[in-house]
Amino acid sequence: MPEPESELSSREVEHVARLARLGITPEEVTRYRDQLRNILHHIEALNRADTSKVPATAHPLEERNVMREDRREPSLPAEAALRNAPSRDDSYFKVKAIQE
Amino acid sequence: MKLYQRTIRELHQMLIDREISSVELTDAVLNQIDLVGDKTKAYLLVTRELALRQAQAADERLRAKRDVRPLTGIPIALKDVLCVRDVASTAGSKILGGFTPPYSATVVERLEGEGAVFLGKTNCDEFAMGSSNENSGYWPVHNPWSLDRVPGGSSGGSAAAVASGEAIAALGSDTGGSIRQPAALTGIVGMKPTYGRVSRYGLIAFASSLDQIGPMTRDVADGALLLQAIAGNDPRDSTSSSRPVPDYLATLTDGVKGMRLGVPKEYFVAGMEPAVEQSIRDAIRLLEQQGASIEEVSLPHSDVALPAYYIIAPAEASSNLARYDGTRYGFQAGGGRNLIEEYMLTRQQGFGAEVKRRIMLGTYALSSGYYDAYYLQAQKVRTLIIEDFKKAFEKVDALLGATSPTAAFELGAKTQDPVAMYLNDIITIPANLGNVCGISVPCGLVDGLPIGLQVIAPGFGEEVALRVAYAFEAATEFHRARSPLMGAAA
Repeated sequence: MPEPESELSSREVEHVARLARLGITPEEVTRYRDQLRNILHHIEALNRADTSKVPATAHPLEERNVMREDRREPSLPAEAALRNAPSRDDSYFKVKAIQE
Repeated sequence: MKLYQRTIRELHQMLIDREISSVELTDAVLNQIDLVGDKTKAYLLVTRELALRQAQAADERLRAKRDVRPLTGIPIALKDVLCVRDVASTAGSKILGGFTPPYSATVVERLEGEGAVFLGKTNCDEFAMGSSNENSGYWPVHNPWSLDRVPGGSSGGSAAAVASGEAIAALGSDTGGSIRQPAALTGIVGMKPTYGRVSRYGLIAFASSLDQIGPMTRDVADGALLLQAIAGNDPRDSTSSSRPVPDYLATLTDGVKGMRLGVPKEYFVAGMEPAVEQSIRDAIRLLEQQGASIEEVSLPHSDVALPAYYIIAPAEASSNLARYDGTRYGFQAGGGRNLIEEYMLTRQQGFGAEVKRRIMLGTYALSSGYYDAYYLQAQKVRTLIIEDFKKAFEKVDALLGATSPTAAFELGAKTQDPVAMYLNDIITIPANLGNVCGISVPCGLVDGLPIGLQVIAPGFGEEVALRVAYAFEAATEFHRARSPLMGAAA
């Protein structure tokens, strides 16, 4: 198994924040970098466990492929779904332009 | 004794005997909220009018003796991660400010069906991420036993409400200890059911493979009653189990005689307060005197549960919290020049520091190049933890240990050190990863602060955990201790 980078860089923090769509100030980059480094340092302990022959567990469910009858049921009315929208246009959520 | 100091079962008897009405009871609890709410800050929202309306409806039901259930007319608090139709629900986050859900959580509907009374939404760490309630996006909660101490978290508002007489019982949610740890730190009973036992529909998600809703109560019997009301399959949550729900009260008082109880040696962790360890050892001896056989067992991968959790939970959270983009509900920053910039501003201003930390940690662990080393490895460790429990439960019926290595700490003591904060959950996290259930029951006071005994039982063995906890409670007086705040106003 490859060893994870032990020292997280400021550039990586900026990259991760961008991936997560989190605005972040230069001061926060430094602060989060140091905090995340410390957390990741403790998480390195994961490698103490020998998992070479162990399958991964994504969820603990006993049941597989839970099905229901394919029938029409009442759903949330559009007005109820839209009433929390910060901005809307008729029966649509209104967003900023995706491209300038 | 004041009405707000009593248990569900005592009050149920008084209600059906017509000794009191639900409106009187609800008034008494709302009055206590008025008296001490500024001290505990347990609620984000008190739904006074809704509560009195529900209390009147419950009184109708009681008067007509129509479908009277154990929770009919009982005032209950709901952690703010639970959606209640048309009632502001924020998960303790600014990013959900102003959000009123168009539907209710299944557990909320179940309690409505029982005729329960909703007092309001209790404060919590933002999106249930925290162990002290200091990560609330609004304000911290204070422990009713000592106001300069934390109540634990993340269900700290629910815990403080029950411990201060601001609710008769409450619902919380537990992803890594968020019901059991605050229950321990406030001297009440809190149970995390097995994943799948209680529907998560309408629970604002933190980590979807770990989250469970559970009861927070004054004693074990109340916990059994409340669990009974919320457990069971729900077609709206495909992860809810179709296993039948046992009658938890039927076996509650069967005692521990002849039971085999295991003590995981790894649960006496470094950093545990000596007085906590002593109380746990005393509790184990007491259960032995009650007729249980005690043996030491090993859960060898306990030391890697915490690191695995701090990959898996943030990874799931980073994905779950992607939906908060200021488009469909909640806070929108405004001022972004385009959509992406608007997302970034909204999330920058709407999320608190701990939530951002975990989103970044989770995003990092899932990102290209690190997935195998972190996320996949953590999922494999999760398998090892499940196997540890399976092996232990071949030998014993239930496991005993502390809930938290320490009693409640002072506000501010750990806020500068995320890792120190994470260590609070070191003995509660394995039960979430291992797909088992756990309950915390009061087992003593250390310098006037409560601590909890944790009983862990196999998956879908809630009746076993409840039975052991009840046997301990029945032989002790710890659960009768009331916080100064609950007593002072008496």
